Order: sequence, then C-alpha cells, then structure tokens
Amino acid sequence: MQSRRGPPLLQPFYDVAKLFRKETIVVRRSQNFYVYFFFVFIVFTAVLFFTGGDLLLTIFALTLASIFLVLGAYKASSPYSFIGAERELILMMAYEPMVLLAAVGMYLVTRSFIVLDIARSPRLLVLTLPGLFVGFVVILVFKLRKSPFDLSASHHAHQEIVRGITTEFSGRTLALIEIAHWYETTVVLGMVALFFAALPWLAAVAAGVVFFLVILVDNVFARVKWQLALAAAWITAAALGVGNILVVFFLR
Amino acid sequence: MTRSTVSGGEGMQAFKKSPWVLHYDASSCNGCDIEVVASLTPLYDVERLGVVNTGNPKHADIFLVTGSVNAQNLKVLRTLYEQMPEPRVVAAVGICATSGCVFRECYNVMGGVDTVLPVDVYIPGCAARPESIIDGILQAVELLEKKRAYMKSMHGRMKDMAIGRATALDAPEILALQKIVYQNEAEMYDDWSLAPLKQTLQDMRKDFETRVFIKAVVGGKIIGSVRGYMVGETTAHISRLIVHPYFWKQGIGTRLVQEAESNFPRAARFETFTGQKSRHTMEPYQRLGYMPVRQEKVSEHRDRVYFARNREGA
Repeated sequence: MQSRRGPPLLQPFYDVAKLFRKETIVVRRSQNFYVYFFFVFIVFTAVLFFTGGDLLLTIFALTLASIFLVLGAYKASSPYSFIGAERELILMMAYEPMVLLAAVGMYLVTRSFIVLDIARSPRLLVLTLPGLFVGFVVILVFKLRKSPFDLSASHHAHQEIVRGITTEFSGRTLALIEIAHWYETTVVLGMVALFFAALPWLAAVAAGVVFFLVILVDNVFARVKWQLALAAAWITAAALGVGNILVVFFLR
Repeated sequence: MTRSTVSGGEGMQAFKKSPWVLHYDASSCNGCDIEVVASLTPLYDVERLGVVNTGNPKHADIFLVTGSVNAQNLKVLRTLYEQMPEPRVVAAVGICATSGCVFRECYNVMGGVDTVLPVDVYIPGCAARPESIIDGILQAVELLEKKRAYMKSMHGRMKDMAIGRATALDAPEILALQKIVYQNEAEMYDDWSLAPLKQTLQDMRKDFETRVFIKAVVGGKIIGSVRGYMVGETTAHISRLIVHPYFWKQGIGTRLVQEAESNFPRAARFETFTGQKSRHTMEPYQRLGYMPVRQEKVSEHRDRVYFARNREGA
C-alpha cells in the first residue's frame, strides 16, 4: 500500500506475544480489572454472535464491553487516557444509532433478530438494505478506531493525546486489549458478512474488501474533530439508515 | 505507579519480532533526531523489522536518546525511563548522546546520556547514519532478550538473597523503593499525605545517623528494607517494613524483621505499628509473635495498630 516492504502480516501476533512478556505498569491496580471485564464481554459477544444468538444482545454486550474499557481508562486518571475515554464515549454515541438501525433493518427484512435466522434468510440483505450497508461501513471506521475517526486512541502516539484510551495500559493488559480488538474486528466484519449471508462466498469477499477499504481510508485521511465525527455519523445514520428503513417499511 | 510481575511463556524470542521504540531528542542540533525519523521512512523502513515508533513510554521497549543531556531535560529523561516497563534498553544515538561531544564543556550540559541513565547501546556518528541506527536497534533487541532471560532467572534466585545492614549510600535506592511500596498503601487508604511518600533524600540520610537500616538484596538490587531504633533503655522500635510488590508472600519481610531485631541485643521488648488494613505488613510481625496492643485513629480512613513482643526469656 505504501510502496515499501513494511512489517510482516503476522506482526500483530508478534506484538501480543511480546506484550505478554513485558512488565505490567499501572497507575492503579484496579484499572486492569476493568480491562479483564472488557475482554470477557468481547469474547462473550463473539461467542454469542457466531453461535447465532440474538443480534440485539450481541450489540448490547459489545457496547457493555466498550464501556468497561472506558471505565478502565477513567480509572487510570491520566489526562491522556481521560480525554481518550471521553472521546470514546462520544464515538460510541456517534456509531450506536447506526448499529441499532442496521439490526432493525435486518429485522424488517427477515422478521427476526436471531443471527442464525438472519443468516439463513434466502434474501440477499444488501439488495434491500444498501443504505444501511453503506452506513454500517462508515461507522465501522469508528468502531475499529481508524482515521479519520480515531479520536479516542490514535494509532501512533505522537499526537495530542499520546495513545488516548490505552495510554496507561502496558504489558499483559495491553495484550488483552489487542486481543479483544481482534474479536471486535471479527464481530463487526461478521455483521458486514450478514448483509451478504445468502451467498457465503460473497459474504467472505465482502468482509475482506470492507476490511481492506477501512485500512485504506485509515491511511489516506487525517483525523477530524469530534463535532464533525458526531455529525458525520448521525447524518449518515439519519439519511442512509432511517431513509433505507422508511423505504423498506412502506414498499414492503 | 505500581509495577507487577513479569509474566509470559517460553519459546519464541518475542522481542526480536516486535521492538517498540521511544524516541527522545535531548538537545544539540537535531541531526540525529532527523536520522532516527529517516530510518522509519519507506526507504530504510525499519518497521519491516517490527519496530514501532511509539510515543508512549509505557508501551516502549527501546529508549532512543539523541543529543546531550542538560540540566533541564534531565528530569524528562529520568521520568520517561522510569515509566518504561521492564525489560527495557537505552540506546544513545550519535556522539552527543554518547559523550556530549563539543557541547561537553558547556555550563549547562551534563554530558552523554550515560551520566543520568544506564546506557546499553552506543550508536556512533555525527549525525548517526540510519544504517547504524538500525544496527543499534538490532543490538538492543538482542539485549532485550538477554534482560528478559535474566529477569526470569531472578525469580529462581531467591536463595541468593542477601540480608544485611544498609549504609547511607543505599539511601536513594531505599527511598525509591519506599515510594513504590507506600503508593500502594496510599491507594489502599485513599490518603496521599503519608509521611513515607513525602520523605526527602536529605531527611532519609539524616535517619541513617540515628537508625539501623536493613536491606534485602537480590541480583544487586535492593528489594526490601526495614529500620529500627531504640526507644528508651529496653525497647526497640521497628518501622517501615517495605518489600517490593514483586517479592511479596515469600517470607522476606519476616527475615528482614528478624535481622533488624538482632541488631538490638539490649532490647527486651520490640514494638511496631501498621495501618489497620495492611495485612501484608502485619503478617511477618504476627508470625514472629508480635501481638496487637492498641489501635488509634490517625486520619479519616486510617487507624494505626500497635504491635509488640517481648524477647523470649526476657
């Protein structure tokens, strides 16, 4: 992507292996406690989603998990992680409506909130819900904390909030956050695939393409201010999300 | 800031694959500073080796310092270093960071980085070439693996622990340890006005004139300490039992107290006090037969529990 060799594909795994071998420094011991909950709930979310559980419960568990990370960052009481935590809350408020609308849209088409039923639906959801799909891809950039919406935890710590929400976490705890992030990524890409569930091969391709797109966008854009991020997310949700649902609702 | 045990498995040498770098430019001409950044560009692409230029000391493995140290940035350097988790390696990049170079004689320059931090790798050059910086990082990575192996072996080296009298020369190390341990206490009682947290080095040095200091040393590092002094003719007061949180629940406290007691052959009675919630401090005393005698309130959340024990046969 940047005409250079770059780190190997397995680099994230090497990083985590190393972090497990590092010392864990904390400001307050209790801050790690919240991260354990964050990790547990993320794993719970993934299990729930991929065993075909309730989509609404999945979304709720995912939100709850993120809240625990925010609490951990607050507990660390450093100005950087504090601002990171505040911004994460704003981001959550920004992307949450769109996630819910996506679930509602899927319900309108398949008459079920159960992931398994949605996945088994013979209709290609993306054809009826193109607005929701595009909107969901936009908020994916929020959820995966990529530019231009990486307000809460900048990828490299040379900017105004160092590493934001993860600034005060190190060693084993940071490794857990990384692993949880993999789960997060898998779950949200799974939701992307759900739009294409009628054609499994297309679902896999779509998830891959969307992931690539998000990384490309991350590399191309600079970060925006939170006001713009919030407006972008809500306007997308209102226009694409609500619009799409209204169309489906009245034309059914 | 609290530090907890180094953990993790065996097998692959993880540091070789993922050395995260913290870069700080102390002073001088910025030439080396630019070369460090150059080695991260696509041309030299040091990221292909897994290097990340992290701006956060708590995530860093290698501390790259460019430029000489002066009176102003000395504190910054120390703080950054203190915040890096073990194992960590310091690399001095360029001749200014190595020795101070032509700035060596300046009125405000302390010299190279090794005047304030333990430097592991020296990278020569003015300015240091990106090639030599990359070479230096690779050497630093080897050292990370070595340090990690050493730290792991420390856990098996409790047998080699030496306990004995400390001298005033140990004061800085004991004070640093005291602050680490009492930060835990302060959090426990939500009281950051604890005297041991506020003690100055000067004050502690003065204590050495009137008190007996005992230290526990593992691998050249002081990991525990206690002090004692006579109160009146027959009573010895033992105080400030501190053990680095890495080494709790291994009986080090008990041995420290025993050693302290043996320094007061004339004492018939030993006394001490702890906070009411500090079970880890009470435990060694209780094991040695100290009994609680009274409890008094010192602040809103904190009570002082006094313990005492009479010498056997006294």
